[in-house]
Amino acid sequence: MISRRTTFKVAAAITAASTIGIEAAHAADKVIKVGMSMSFTGADADSAARTASGAILAFEEANAAKTIKGYTFEFIKLDDATATAGQYDPAQAATNARKMVSDKAIVAALGPQMSGAGKAMAPILSAGNLATITPSSTNPDITDPKFAAQYKPNGKAIYFRTVATDAFQGPNMANFMADKLKVKTIFILDDSGAYGVGIADAFQGQIEKKGVKVLGRDRLDPKAADYAAILTKIKALNPDALYYGGVNQAGVKLMKQSYDIMPKMIKAGGDGIYGGDTLKGAGFPAVDGWYVTNASPHVTEDPKASKFTTAFKKRFDVFPIDYSATCYVGAQVIIAAAKKVVDSGKEPTRDAIRDAIGGIKLADSLIGPVSFDENGDVTNKVISVFQVKQDKSKPLDDPDSQFKYDGVAPAA
Amino acid sequence: MTSGDLLLQQTINGLSLGSMYALLALGFTLVYGIMELINFSHFNVFMVGSMIAMLILQAFGVVGQETVMTGLPLVGVLVATFAVTMVLCGGIGVGIERYLLRPLRSVKGPAVMITTIGVSYVLFNIVLLTLGTDAKNFPNPLPPILYNIGGAVLRLREILIWVIALGLMGALTFLVRYTKIGRAMRATAQDPDAARMMGVEVDRVVMVAFFLSSALAGASGMIFGLYYNLAKVDIGFAAGLRAFTAAVLGGIGNVPGAMLGGVIIGLIEAMSGQVVGTAWTDVVIFGLLVLVLVFRPAGLLGRIAPNKS
Repeated sequence: MISRRTTFKVAAAITAASTIGIEAAHAADKVIKVGMSMSFTGADADSAARTASGAILAFEEANAAKTIKGYTFEFIKLDDATATAGQYDPAQAATNARKMVSDKAIVAALGPQMSGAGKAMAPILSAGNLATITPSSTNPDITDPKFAAQYKPNGKAIYFRTVATDAFQGPNMANFMADKLKVKTIFILDDSGAYGVGIADAFQGQIEKKGVKVLGRDRLDPKAADYAAILTKIKALNPDALYYGGVNQAGVKLMKQSYDIMPKMIKAGGDGIYGGDTLKGAGFPAVDGWYVTNASPHVTEDPKASKFTTAFKKRFDVFPIDYSATCYVGAQVIIAAAKKVVDSGKEPTRDAIRDAIGGIKLADSLIGPVSFDENGDVTNKVISVFQVKQDKSKPLDDPDSQFKYDGVAPAA
Repeated sequence: MTSGDLLLQQTINGLSLGSMYALLALGFTLVYGIMELINFSHFNVFMVGSMIAMLILQAFGVVGQETVMTGLPLVGVLVATFAVTMVLCGGIGVGIERYLLRPLRSVKGPAVMITTIGVSYVLFNIVLLTLGTDAKNFPNPLPPILYNIGGAVLRLREILIWVIALGLMGALTFLVRYTKIGRAMRATAQDPDAARMMGVEVDRVVMVAFFLSSALAGASGMIFGLYYNLAKVDIGFAAGLRAFTAAVLGGIGNVPGAMLGGVIIGLIEAMSGQVVGTAWTDVVIFGLLVLVLVFRPAGLLGRIAPNKS
């Protein structure tokens, strides 16, 4: 009789053998190395891990399926957050970019997660002609031809995105708040970061066009602890809603204190305050009721994406967020570009992959059709709206069950 | 809200902020008064205090803002947490003084101050590596009771903060003014050598000063947590810098000055957020500090001390 324990042993032995087999095969393969720079520690670490896992899954699937004969994908993770910043640090992001550019084996990159990091990295990546695909950094300046001299001094597009930009995220949310939430007056805050100021400006421009009265605009210091003064001022002005452009470091403090001071006001923000870090840091009840957006289609509840979500859950033991999907697709673009280069009989070098990425078209990816315009922006731009609604039956820090999908924000 | 209500509400905000700064400023002033040392490790003893308080409250079973206690259990949990936090933080202060600063006592120049900066970073990194950098949801067992005064809102926790801060400041003032160890502290502050000749145990006085200073930092760390429902590894720098400013504004080395400075900085922070915008708060605070120091170089209540050497 075979006991359960022996069955396990046999299974383990088979797995071990097959793993060795794969490794042996890999050893003969040439390596395509991809760098990944995100904020793996600090205020946005949970989102970073879930986002990056999307790419890891895509590369592992490609390796297992031997998508490109004779090549395997390898990736290295670089953290752009520092302890002194408490969140992403542009200086660290620049260091990471230099590290990736100077490692000749790295032929493509994914990331960064944050726009402030992207602004620091883009000029360096451009000089090194290393293409990167960002799954979540949404500040429009980086790919705007107006700022080409600053962010792509080399002339060629190197900063590709699988998300829309804040030129859409801000204004589309403004439409949503004016049309669907019937907001008539609003106060706008930002966190003085590249992303926060940009999205708040874009939001403000459109909401003014919609005839909503902006009662004021102020800037939070993400390192300060106390926002009671400005929130008391806002409470006295009594707007219908508060919009916050920024990420978690100031965001979770704002959520806690604004809940104390004006619990009933409509409050909204961008993708900077979507995720497990937001839920964990701000906690219920403070976070309850906040509207947030994502600059991508909502896929994690889409039945068509169930293969992806199941595989993701099985591999990482957490649920994906939508930016796991944009990152998965970003990795697919790199894989497709590398395959195109290899199939055409050339070496998958940095230059060849950069040239190939711009022409990649995925007809039916997780996030719909994917292609890039000449600046590197994704052509299919969708902004999804969510609202935090506490679901006590699920883990309170699980973004997928606590952020309820509210539809697509109307385009400007 | 009328403008009168608004003024009242911002005053309430400012006083809460100010009592926190004042407690922290007292710690700077106490050590400076006795040793003429700016103790930068104070920044992160404060942060460690809020972390210790968080862990103790969690050990009591308080989760997030969802466990609400009332009556005797609430008082018991708070008193116990304050006591343990203050004693542990005081212990950290004593340890820093005994093992890291005392060996340097005879060294001239900025070596001791630089050491305290180093200690500050060591504390920061210990918490960073053990508890992580994410914002923690500080457990808060206080019931959400609030009182409306006109259009302004006064919360139970604001009253609690004022009472605790006033109580601790009162106790410290009593200790410095009317007890034997207080007299020894004042004597050491005036002239350590003469005090030693009169039989004052200077080492013990310094140790007591560090204990009290760090215990106050611990208390103010816990108050910070209860007030903002937040604990984070980097809170020490922002709050510590404001408190240090408060100590300088009031006259560093002067106990009532630190309290006055703290309250003034808190009120300025609230009012400038109302009138000029939060983006300018630092400019207003430090601009005012420069102005005060131009006209009163020793701070509001400080006196120019004769040179001890």
